[in-house]
Amino acid sequence: MFLTRSEYDRGVNTFSPEGRLFQVEYAIEAIKLGTTAIGIRTGEGALLAVEKRITSPLLVADSIEKILEIDGHVACAMSGLTADSRTMIEHARVEALNHTFSYQEPIPVESVTQAVCDLALRFGEGADGQESTMSRPFGVALLIAGVDERGPQLYHTDPSGTFLRYEAKAIGAGSEGAQSALQEQYHRDISLADAEVLALKVLKQVMEEKLSNTNVQLAKVTKEAGYQIYTTDELQAVISRM
Amino acid sequence: MRTATAVAAPIEAHGHNHWSPYVDNGGTTLAIAGEDYVLVASDTRQSDGYAINSRYEPKAFVLSNNAVLGTSGCVADAKRLCEVLEQRAQLYQHKHDRQISTPALARLLSNTMYNRRMLPYYVFPVLAGLDSEGRGAAYAYDAIGSMERVTNSCFGSAETLIQPFLDNQVARNNQRGADPERLLTRQEALKIAIDAFTSATERDIYTGDYLEIFIIDAAGVHKETRELKHD
Repeated sequence: MFLTRSEYDRGVNTFSPEGRLFQVEYAIEAIKLGTTAIGIRTGEGALLAVEKRITSPLLVADSIEKILEIDGHVACAMSGLTADSRTMIEHARVEALNHTFSYQEPIPVESVTQAVCDLALRFGEGADGQESTMSRPFGVALLIAGVDERGPQLYHTDPSGTFLRYEAKAIGAGSEGAQSALQEQYHRDISLADAEVLALKVLKQVMEEKLSNTNVQLAKVTKEAGYQIYTTDELQAVISRM
Repeated sequence: MRTATAVAAPIEAHGHNHWSPYVDNGGTTLAIAGEDYVLVASDTRQSDGYAINSRYEPKAFVLSNNAVLGTSGCVADAKRLCEVLEQRAQLYQHKHDRQISTPALARLLSNTMYNRRMLPYYVFPVLAGLDSEGRGAAYAYDAIGSMERVTNSCFGSAETLIQPFLDNQVARNNQRGADPERLLTRQEALKIAIDAFTSATERDIYTGDYLEIFIIDAAGVHKETRELKHD
C-alpha cells in the first residue's frame, strides 16, 4: 500500500494516478494521534467533551484549552495538531462577527462550519498573485456545536474540508471505541443531563489516565444561555452522577 | 505663426449653474406598521423641476423576501439601491440557505448606505416587512444610513404635509386620553394613507397621479392602485 504512495506524497497539491491527495490523507491520520473529543446533540442543547493529556505532574492542567468559543452561540472542540486550529478558529470568529455586523443577527451554525471548511483546502502555493496562508493541510479536526433557529446542531470538519452533521461524534485517538459506544448508547430524545454523563462515561472508557475533574473539559451550548464551559465544581457534579 | 495675444478661455460663471450629480424627482412615500401587517403607500408621479417625466413610475419595490422598499429623492439612486439590496438578499439566500429576514435586510440597508458616506445615495428609504415574531416592521433611514424602527414614517416632497398628520393620527402625539401604544388596524391605516395622499396632492405639485398601496402580512404582499388628481 505504501509503495504506491512513494512518488506522489511529497507535493501537497499533486494527485496520485489513483486520484488521491496523500498529504490530505496523512493529515487525517494526524488526528488519530490527538486526544479524544466527543460531541453530542440533544433537544436542549449541544454538548462537547474533551480529554486533556496531563503528561507531567508539573504541567498546569488549566493551560490546556481544547474547547473554545467562536461566538456566543457556537463553540468548538478539537483534536489533532491543536495549534493549527488557531488559524481556523480566528477565521470562524471573524466570520461570525462580520455576519453580526452586517445583518444584526447571529450567524447560522452551518455557515460558521462552511467558513472553517473554506479555509481547509487553501494550502499549497496558491494561484497567481494569491497568497496562501498555509503550506500544508491543517492537521486538525473540529467538532462545532451551536444553536440557531434550526435548534441545537453538531458538525464535524476534517482536513479535507468536508463537513458533516452528526447526532453524536467522537474524534481523536479513542474515536473508534468512543464512536461505537456512542452508537450503542445515544438515542434521539436523550436529555442534556444524561448526555453529560454519557459523554464522560465514553471518555472514561477510552482514556488511559483515570478520569478526574482536571483532565477533562466539558462545555454546552443551549438556546437559553449560549456557550458555557463547566467549572471544576460543575464537572465534579457530573462525575458524581456517573 | 504664434501671436503673443492671449486667447481668453471660456470660463463658466461661478456662483450659479453648478452641475450636481443629484436630482430630486419629487414624490412621497409613507409606511404604517401594525400588529400583524405593515403598509407602504407611495404616489407614482416622477418630476424634474416643473416638468413631469412620468405619471406612472412606481417608487416602491417588492423584494424577493416579501419586504417592500419605499423610496423618495433621486429615482436613479433609488433604483440602483434597490438592485444592490436585492442582489445582496439573493447572495444571502445562496450562502445561508434561507431567506433573509426583514430585520437583517434593514441592517444591511443601513450598512449599504453608510458605505457611501462620502457620496451618498440621494434616497430616503423606508423598508417594510414582518419581523421574526410576525409583527409589522417599518424602518426609516436618512441618506447616510441612520436607521430607526418606526410605527409610521413619511419621506419625500409632501413629507412636511403628511408627517404631522401621521404624528397626530397614527402616533396620537399629545392627545389627552388617547393610547399612543395602540397600533392601527388595517382598515384604519388604509384610510389614513389614502386621506394623507389625497390631501397632500391638493397642495404639493410633485405628488399625484396614482397611489400604490402595498400591504404586507403573513399571506404575502397585496398591492392595490388608486387614482390621485392628475393636475
